[in-house]
Amino acid sequence: MVDIDLSQPPFTLLDEPGRERVRSGVDLAYFDTEEIILDAGQPGEFVYVIHKGEVAELDISMPRSQARIGHYTAGDLFGAISILNGSSRYRFQADQESLCYLLPKALFEQLCESYPAFAEFFRQRLSDKARLLTEHRAQGGVTMAGFMLASVSECMRDPLVVSAGTSIAQAVASLNDSQADSLLVGDSQRFGMVTKTDLLNALVVDGLAQDAPALTIAHFELVSVRPEQYLFEALVDMTRHKVSRVVVMEAGKPIGVVELMDVLSYFSSRSYVVSLQVEQATSLDELARASARTPELVQALMAQGVKLRFAMGLLGALNGRIMAKAWRFLVDDPYRDRCCLMVMGSEGRGEQILKTDQDNALILPDDLEWPDVSGRMGEFTDALIRMGYPPCPGNIMVSNPEWRGTLSEWLQRLDRWVERRDGDSLMNLAILLDAHAVSGDSRLLQSLREAMFSRCSGNELLLTYFARAALRFSTPLTLFGTLKKPQHGIDIKKGGIFPIVHGVRTLALERSIQPTSTLERLDALVEDGRLEARFAEDLGESLSLFMELRLRQQLERLHDTEPGKQDSRLVVQQLSSLERDLLREALHMVKDFKQRLSHRFHLEY
Amino acid sequence: MLRTLRRAADRRRQAGGDYGWLFNPYTGDELVAIDCETTGLDPRRAELVSIAAVTVRGERVITSESLDLRLQCPTSLDGDSIRIHGLRGVDLDGGESVGDALARLLDFIGNRPLLGWCIDYDVTVINRQLRPRFGFDLPNALIDISHRYARELRRKHPDIDPDRGFESMARMLDVPVMGRHTALGDAVTTALMYLRLQRRALDVG
Repeated sequence: MVDIDLSQPPFTLLDEPGRERVRSGVDLAYFDTEEIILDAGQPGEFVYVIHKGEVAELDISMPRSQARIGHYTAGDLFGAISILNGSSRYRFQADQESLCYLLPKALFEQLCESYPAFAEFFRQRLSDKARLLTEHRAQGGVTMAGFMLASVSECMRDPLVVSAGTSIAQAVASLNDSQADSLLVGDSQRFGMVTKTDLLNALVVDGLAQDAPALTIAHFELVSVRPEQYLFEALVDMTRHKVSRVVVMEAGKPIGVVELMDVLSYFSSRSYVVSLQVEQATSLDELARASARTPELVQALMAQGVKLRFAMGLLGALNGRIMAKAWRFLVDDPYRDRCCLMVMGSEGRGEQILKTDQDNALILPDDLEWPDVSGRMGEFTDALIRMGYPPCPGNIMVSNPEWRGTLSEWLQRLDRWVERRDGDSLMNLAILLDAHAVSGDSRLLQSLREAMFSRCSGNELLLTYFARAALRFSTPLTLFGTLKKPQHGIDIKKGGIFPIVHGVRTLALERSIQPTSTLERLDALVEDGRLEARFAEDLGESLSLFMELRLRQQLERLHDTEPGKQDSRLVVQQLSSLERDLLREALHMVKDFKQRLSHRFHLEY
Repeated sequence: MLRTLRRAADRRRQAGGDYGWLFNPYTGDELVAIDCETTGLDPRRAELVSIAAVTVRGERVITSESLDLRLQCPTSLDGDSIRIHGLRGVDLDGGESVGDALARLLDFIGNRPLLGWCIDYDVTVINRQLRPRFGFDLPNALIDISHRYARELRRKHPDIDPDRGFESMARMLDVPVMGRHTALGDAVTTALMYLRLQRRALDVG
């Protein structure tokens, strides 16, 4: 018929006469909502091309909640695989009233015969689907392999070696200093291992004096491995000898120790190792090294299928620790605990996964005199840049005097922003609303936040202005509710993440909700009664999906050196149909949310 | 009344002719949706430009069994109607003569009931050409979708004043308009609207 769209694959694989055969060979049929178009086990009689409406593919052998395995909308094609297989494996059911073109089996087979590429397309889809499913199941196994192939040298820590004359008291002190669990005692020829348990037994059970030499309680039968051995061999050795650490020897010298705890955490996510490195760092350089490992950690977490919400939590905590540690290195004692360093923006919300621009600010107490503040803060910003946090293009950093001040100065700024309500002020408010204290006196931030809530939450006019930004970017859906598919991709940050984050932020401001992370805010809003639990959950899931898609793309581009390419565009055509469906659903949630916002804050005009 | 009488007379006259079978009562479950594009809106003067027909069987529109005829350029084809149906004189080059086209149309529709939007208009225009050439009017039962629609709507929602315009009907019935102002497109859309009406699409709202 006239209106069938044959400009999409697989029909592009036909030539014009072939397409004409399709056009003249198809019929039209209407299916009501919930009507079963093709049931599992039925022989396939037609290939269906949806002209309008939505069709779900259901696996009826699965429980209801997991039954839905596919979703088709206008322009999609289904039923071809049922014809190739002889009968349909799944049930196709209309989600909405749907108008479908029916391409009869005979014609489809003729087409497959005369156009090999056309037939190939469907065979590929079949294997594509199968691969997708197996991949889905096997994703957990990928990093297991990574673990099996890791070598000892990747997981060992530096040995703590003390001289033969060290006393037990000195040994305990040095263990505490370096936050280690064991030390090696000895001279250049032989080394003995002393663990915390050994020390404890020596002092309590054997009643040795504190100044007794540690050498007397050391074990000299060491279980040792070579650095190039596989990590799992070390694990096997530990199990066999019933010890919880092995010494790494190279050319007769100990060069490291592998602790059972390290192996297990390496096994689980390597998160422990990175956080350990951060904790143990004694200089900015060491901190920078630890900080450089976080992308790798993210990759491992993602590959293991850790839920993004928890990964974000972990990374947020880790980034916070890195900042706090850098702060401790750079700022001297009287100041560092009295003023409050806060991170804002995505870091403040704890939604930063890979390192993005640094957004931070400083609140000083009113009675603190700090003459060298600008010099110190400049150093701090530089240190963070070295640590891999790029400078903020909007200059929202402690090195900028605008983002630094005493509490009363901040309150004045706040008043000015609330009063002016122009673009910059609203943006500043939004940034400040997400602030999260990482170091110093967090009561300062708390009182600032309370001031903010008291000034804003009742101010309908301000809230309206504030909420408007959420509608600034259009949702990348077409008029008919399908995904827009521009060649250069859709901007998932503007179209998906921002409206949710900002909308939720507005609601949080309205209701004076304390947490800064969007997901926590959603939970709090549900508790508050502002949102229904179901809607909030869907919104949270949508946000997680956007972030996950974005993150995966960022990880792929992590190794691109051109900074210009690191934008948040997502090319829809490269996604699998499963992901596309999810993305479309999620964007519909965004649309829905925007409508609610504009209704609540009267943004229709 | 007049139509019934005329039909009886036609039937008598055609009883032994080639088209006698058209007058037999139809017993199947198929319908044929038809639509014509013409040169004007006055059924006494307008001439046919194209005729399309498509079978409706059960719950399906059998677009693979359809007829789409373009006729030879009639003398009264002018700018106003070209603007509507988009068929220029050139497009009609190689079109069929009215006689051949009507013969094919009769073969296609047979004695199946006809379905159309304001079908009286189309049938009148066809009959004007049919009677001088074949000596009878279309004897088929007629279903006018716009009457059906208005009746349904009045019954379900007496408060709504039915707008029988083609597009607004399609919108109310949630039917996509396919190729508006091409004969085949309109015929298919009409058929879809019929299917929707049969399924009581208006019940919901």
